[in-house]
Amino acid sequence: MTELITGLLQESISGIALGCIYALIALGFTLIYKATEVVNFAQGEIMMVGAYINFFFVTQFAGMTGGLNGWVFLAALFCSIIFAVLFGIILDYIINRPLKDEPVFSIIMATISLAIILRSLTAMIAGPISLIPVSPFGDSTIKMGGIVISILDLAIIISAIILMALFFFFFNKTRWGIAMKATSEDSEAAQLMGIPVKQVYRMVWVFAAIVGVISGVLLAPRMALLDTTMSYLGLKAFPAAILGGFGSIPGAVVGGIILGIIETVSMGTLSFHFEWIKEINDIIIWIVLIAVLMFRPDGLMGEAKVKRV
Amino acid sequence: MKKMTVMISILLLFIACGKQAPTPGVTDTEILIGNIQDLSGPMKELGAVLPAGSNLYFQYINEQGGVHGRQIKMIVEDHQYNPQKAVVAAKKLIEKDQVFCLYHVIGTSTCEAIRPILAETKTPLIAPATQSGTMSDLSRTAGDLIFHTDTGYDKQTNILIDYILNNDSNAKIGLIYQDDDYGENVLKGAGEAESRHSISVQKEAFQRGATDFTGQVGNLIKGSATHVIIAGVVKEPIIVMKTASAMGFSPQFFGTSPTMDHRVALAAGPAGEGFIAANFADLWNSDASEAVHYRELCDKYEVPEAYMGMYHFYGYITAKVLVEGLERAGKNPTRNRLINGMETLKKWDSGAFPPITYNSNDHAGTESVILVQIKDGVQTVITDWID
Repeated sequence: MTELITGLLQESISGIALGCIYALIALGFTLIYKATEVVNFAQGEIMMVGAYINFFFVTQFAGMTGGLNGWVFLAALFCSIIFAVLFGIILDYIINRPLKDEPVFSIIMATISLAIILRSLTAMIAGPISLIPVSPFGDSTIKMGGIVISILDLAIIISAIILMALFFFFFNKTRWGIAMKATSEDSEAAQLMGIPVKQVYRMVWVFAAIVGVISGVLLAPRMALLDTTMSYLGLKAFPAAILGGFGSIPGAVVGGIILGIIETVSMGTLSFHFEWIKEINDIIIWIVLIAVLMFRPDGLMGEAKVKRV
Repeated sequence: MKKMTVMISILLLFIACGKQAPTPGVTDTEILIGNIQDLSGPMKELGAVLPAGSNLYFQYINEQGGVHGRQIKMIVEDHQYNPQKAVVAAKKLIEKDQVFCLYHVIGTSTCEAIRPILAETKTPLIAPATQSGTMSDLSRTAGDLIFHTDTGYDKQTNILIDYILNNDSNAKIGLIYQDDDYGENVLKGAGEAESRHSISVQKEAFQRGATDFTGQVGNLIKGSATHVIIAGVVKEPIIVMKTASAMGFSPQFFGTSPTMDHRVALAAGPAGEGFIAANFADLWNSDASEAVHYRELCDKYEVPEAYMGMYHFYGYITAKVLVEGLERAGKNPTRNRLINGMETLKKWDSGAFPPITYNSNDHAGTESVILVQIKDGVQTVITDWID
């Protein structure tokens, strides 16, 4: 019995770390969706670009200072975030602004094109050979009872919690956050009330780029090798966002974590005790998703939208 | 005037009869080869490196005067690892570009998808770049047109299990496999070995692209496996061994040929120490005669260092098999003569593959592997060819 519980706990912790990555990607979607009602299909690619940029800075700084140390990683992270800010501003200029008053569908198509362009550009610039990412935490772990937690996983979980809390606070308690909510509700009315809608949009894209880049930095060492296929993980964050309730920040976290746990536990303990789980483990996530949507069509934490006609 | 017309007509008739229908892709100066790789999908890394390796050998042969005076030219198409796109690419190469034969098409499902076109157009496929045992199954469509160079995954799994049990008859064997065509072929081999040895192998699946193996490793700990075979590609053995090491689980790890990649040792670090992978060819940096020649050519043609390695060498060595087939097809090659030529290979030594034999009942080529172990972070060959 204890073996079963330790096993489940062990898998759940890995699942939570994996889920936090999904949650961070889902948060990227959510931020943009909340303010602009656009689904950004390039969020996984923004994450991938972040991982590559961070790798570039780490190797540059390590070359300059003659080795890897904590400062190298911190400086690389700082530069990557600066890059994310610029990247977000550029994306706002090339994707959001020209298409602002076009149908949402056009903007979604533009984000899909962006995804393909980013993947190809990254492959062209970085070359076809995959890179071996390094993590400031190495392979170190801590043991608690019978459970092993890697420091990297712990860092992923803590960073995700901090980012989520920051954004939650921002959206609910600050003037800019409320301005963003108002813009998403009705951009014309918001503009009439004196909200600088253009700046709000730019800020949203910048935030999404920062979250994307940070998730890339955190995920890369967990992937063993860094290549452009990393961006496909973005697709897994969609069910997470929908499960939690599209547009809800706590929902993105909950959805991501549930998905991560399902993934590890179904491959682990569940398939150990029930052979047939192995046969369906690739569709299990979708079964859960449909089951949740049947009872809660707006997702677990989503707010039901009521529109007065 | 009338006489003149009749004579010209007769002359034209002679010319027409005297000249056979030309073989696609073959001119007096050139042989055109078609290759389909993943240039922009999940395996695009190989898509860049494999044809570069083949072209290295073709460049060498072309500088020597080509095959029977003809230069070899290869066209590479992209299938993005998508079977439907592979079909489109094969059609384009065979019908529009009129290639002589297909060569080194990558992927199991993609090669399976183009079988009907091969059969319809009687186009041979030499050295498909997959180790699936289904490639040498003569009962399948176009089986007679496909010449496999690599030892199949089913055979590899059989050999690994035999090797484990030879060394430790009480071994409890675990297997982590990718849940697709590749894994299916591995499971076939595991099933054969299970019934031969009357043992039971603990099997754990993963989805392609999985990044977390805590569950599978946890199950192997519960099953108290002493030896674990990882049938993944490059990322999977790294993550599995790191996860196992973190969880204090240290069985002897083995891997099928796709895991035989030097980056496993680089990225897995201490967790990967002792990892044994099966390989169907000698190492590119070994003393095997063709490996030595390969490195000389890399030097001569200034191949970028990032390209040099097992995949580049794989492209190179399969090109040598193709060239041997083209030589044996004779001075006036046809697709049929290529097939007959390939079928005359008998324990032929390529200098890197195990001896290759083809005949009308056997298109498998080789059935053995060498085992390569990571020792002090370096890949070291620990066995001779075993089968």
